[in-house]
Amino acid sequence: MSEIGRLAVVLGLVVALWGIGASVLGALRRDARLIASGKHAAYAFSGLTGIAVVALLFLLLTRDFNVEYVASYSSSTLPLWYTIAALWGGMKGSLLWWTFILAVCNAVVQLQNRDKNRDQMPWVTATMLIVGAFFLSLLVFVTDPFERLPFTPREGSDLNPLLQNYWMTIHPPSLYVGFVSTTVPFAFAMAALLTGKLGDAWIRTTRRWALFSWFFLSLGNLFGAAWAYVVLGWGGYWAWDPVENAAFMPWLTASAYLHSVMIQEKKDMLKVWNMALVILTFALTIFGTFLTRSGVISSVHSFTQSGLGPFFMGFLLAILTVSIGLLVWRLPLLKSRNELESVFSREAAFLLNNLILVGIAFTVFWGTVFPVLSEWVRGVKITVGPPFFNRVNAPLGIALVFLMGVGPVIAWRKATAKSLWRSFAAPLGTGVLVGAIAFALGVRNFYAVLAFSVAAFALATVWIEFWRGMRVRQSMLGEKPWTALSRLIGKNRRRYGGYIVHVGVVMIFVGIVASSVFKLELQRPMQIGESATLGGYTVRYEGIEVEDDEHVERTFARVSVWDGEGQGATRLGEVYPEKRFYKKPKQPTTEVSIWSTLGADLYVVLGSYDPPTKLAVFQVFVNPMIAWMWIGGVVLALGTGVCMWPSYAERAVPVTSRVPAGSRTA
Amino acid sequence: MQLVASVVRGLRRSSSGVALGACLALASGFGPPAAHAEVATQAQVETDLTCQCGCGLTVHSCNHLNCGSGIPLKKEIAEQIATGKSREDILSYFEGKYGEKILSSPTARGFNLAAWTVPFIAIALGGLIVGIVLTRWRRGAGTGGGADRPGAPPLRGAQADPELRARLDRELAELERRS
Repeated sequence: MSEIGRLAVVLGLVVALWGIGASVLGALRRDARLIASGKHAAYAFSGLTGIAVVALLFLLLTRDFNVEYVASYSSSTLPLWYTIAALWGGMKGSLLWWTFILAVCNAVVQLQNRDKNRDQMPWVTATMLIVGAFFLSLLVFVTDPFERLPFTPREGSDLNPLLQNYWMTIHPPSLYVGFVSTTVPFAFAMAALLTGKLGDAWIRTTRRWALFSWFFLSLGNLFGAAWAYVVLGWGGYWAWDPVENAAFMPWLTASAYLHSVMIQEKKDMLKVWNMALVILTFALTIFGTFLTRSGVISSVHSFTQSGLGPFFMGFLLAILTVSIGLLVWRLPLLKSRNELESVFSREAAFLLNNLILVGIAFTVFWGTVFPVLSEWVRGVKITVGPPFFNRVNAPLGIALVFLMGVGPVIAWRKATAKSLWRSFAAPLGTGVLVGAIAFALGVRNFYAVLAFSVAAFALATVWIEFWRGMRVRQSMLGEKPWTALSRLIGKNRRRYGGYIVHVGVVMIFVGIVASSVFKLELQRPMQIGESATLGGYTVRYEGIEVEDDEHVERTFARVSVWDGEGQGATRLGEVYPEKRFYKKPKQPTTEVSIWSTLGADLYVVLGSYDPPTKLAVFQVFVNPMIAWMWIGGVVLALGTGVCMWPSYAERAVPVTSRVPAGSRTA
Repeated sequence: MQLVASVVRGLRRSSSGVALGACLALASGFGPPAAHAEVATQAQVETDLTCQCGCGLTVHSCNHLNCGSGIPLKKEIAEQIATGKSREDILSYFEGKYGEKILSSPTARGFNLAAWTVPFIAIALGGLIVGIVLTRWRRGAGTGGGADRPGAPPLRGAQADPELRARLDRELAELERRS
C-alpha cells in the first residue's frame, strides 16, 4: 500500500504541474481544450491526493510498522480514534493532510464554477495547483510519508501522549481547513489581478469561502485553547506560544477582510486594501506553517525541527513577491470611488476596526519574531512571553470590542448628532451602568471595569438592533415576537448572522477578561480526608486509585467538591484529576478534572503523589466565567451558520442566472 | 514611551486623530512593566520569569511534575524576596545569573525598547494614514470630486438637484430609523 501511496503522490505532482501549464497556456492562448485539460488535472490532483491519504490511513490502521511514519506515530495499542488522528499527528502526515484539504477545496471550486467565471478559472486552477504542487514536491523530494524502514520494528513509538486527547482529533483538522481554504480567496484575487477583471465579481464568488475560512480558523483557535486548557494543566488556555500566534494572525487579518469587504460591496471603496488583506491572510497561513515546521522559533506545539524551513521561507517570499508585484501592476485599475461624507459613518468605523485588527496582528507578529530579531541584531536570546502580549494587546482588544458596538449601528455615509444619540444613548448608558455595578461589586482593576463596560455596550447595541427590527415587523406586519425575530434574521441573514457572531465574540472576550483578572489558585499537599477552600469552593481529598492497562497506567484521585466551607458546605459532586503514565513512549501526563458552571470552573490538578504515604499535592484553580468562552464559541458558530446559509432567492434561482452581468448585490 | 506620547500628541492635533488619540492614550499606559522599587510578591516575580524547562510558560504557570527548572527557581525567588529586595533588584539578580532569556518580557532599554514601542508606533502611523485617507475622501465628497472627476458619469436627476438630494437624504434617514 505504501507503493500505491507513493505513486499517487508522485502522479499527483506530475498532474498538478501539467494542470498549471495547461491552465496558464490555455488562459494566454484562449484555448478551451487546454483550459479543460487544466480543469481535469485539478480533479485528478484531488483524486490522487485522496488515494494517498487513504493509503496512509490504511497503513496506520493495519499497523504496518515497516513504514517509518506509522512506526513513529502509532502503536499496536493506540485506540482507533487516535490512530486516525495520527494521520495529522506527525509532520509528514500533516503535510499530506494539508494537500488533501487543498485538493478537496480545489475540486469544490471547480464544481461551483463549472459555468461561471470562465476567464478567471484557469488562473484560479493554476494558483491552487501551484500551492498544491509545492506541498507535493516536499512530500516527493524532501519528506516522504511512505518511506519504508530497512527493518520492521516489533512495536511503534506511539502518538505523543499530549496529542491523545479528543480536542486534538478535531483541533488540527479545523485549523488546517481554515488555513488551507484561505487559498481560495487568494486564488481568485490572483485571477482578478491577472485578468484585470477587478470588479466585485471575485469578491461575490469568494464571499462564502472567506467566511468559511474565518469560521474554521475561529474553531481551530478555540479547539486549540480547549486542548491546552484540559491537557497542559497549568490552569490557562492561551500562552501566546509562537504556534498559537501563528494560528491567531490569519484569523485577525481575515476578520479585518470580512469587514472591509462590505465597504467595497456597498461603496466600491478599499479595493487595494481588500486585495492586500487577502494576500496577507494567505501569506500568514504559510508563515504559520513555516513557524511550526522550521524550528526557527521554539514552541511546545511545533513539529520536530526539520530542514523544511528554507523551502517554506522561499515559497513565502515567492508568494509575496508575485502577489505584491501583481497588485502594484494593477494599481491603476484598482482606483475606487473613495468618497466619504463624514468621519461619523460606518465606513470610518470599519476602517478603524481594520486598523486595530491589523494592528493586533502586527503586534502578535512582532512579539513572535522579536526573539529571532534580537538574536540577529544583538546576538542575545530573549523571551517574549505572555506578559508582553497581554500588556500590549489588552487596550487594543478593548478598543476593538468598543468598535464592534459602534460599527453595526452607525449609519452608512453620514451619522447626524441626533442619529448618533438615538443609536448610542441606551448602549452607552448600559455600558456605564455595568461598569458602575462592577465597581460597586468591588472590581478595582481599571481595565477589567472598562472591558466589562465596553462588552455591555457592544451587547446592548446588538440587542437594540434586534429589538427595533422585531418591533417594526410586529407593528407593520402584525407578527408574533418569535415569528418576527426568525423572519427578521431570515430576511437579512448576513446582517443578523453577523450580529450573532458579535455576541459570540463578546462572550469570549468576557470569558477571557474574567478568567484572567479574577483567577484564583492554590497549591497544597494533602493527606486523605484533608480539604482546602478556594473562591467559595471546598475540595476534599477522598482517596486515590490506580488503573492499569497495556497502553497507560492511570493514577486518579477522588476529590469531592463542596459549595461553601465548614459545616454549612453543600456537597456538589466529585472530580477525578489524574496522572497518566503512557508506556510507549514512556511519558507522564497530567489530566485535569474540572467542575464547570456558568459562574466559574473549579480546575483541579493532581500535581504529584507519593504511593507509600498517599500524600498528594493538588493545584486548584478557580477560573471565573470561562464557560462563557466555550458558549461564545457555539454562538459564534451559530451566527456564522446563519450568515452562510443560502437565502431563499439563492436557493430558488438557478446559479447561472442569479447575478446579471455587471450588477452589484447589496 | 515618550515617543509614543509625542506621536499621540501629533495625532491629536490632526482633525481625524481624536478617536485614535483616545485609543493610543489608552494604549500608551501599556508600556513595559514598571518594576521600579516595588515590593515583590512571589506570584509577580514568578510571572516575570520564564521557566527554562522548554514548556514556554512562565515560572508561575509551569506545573511540570518535578520540573528541574521551575521548582528550583520558585525556591530561589522565595529566597530573594526574603532578603527584602525590590522586584527590580530581584529581576536584575536573575537576569545577571541566567541571562536575559529568563525574563518573560523584554527589558525596556536599548534595542529591546523597540519590542514595546514599535507596535504602537506602527498603529499610530496606520492611524495617521487612515486619518489622511479619511480627510482626502471627505474633501472629495465635499467638492463632489468623485462624480466630477474625468471619466465619471455626469450628474443626473436626483444627484444634480440639491433639493432632490436633500429629500433623498431625508428619506434615507427615515428608512434607517424605521429599520
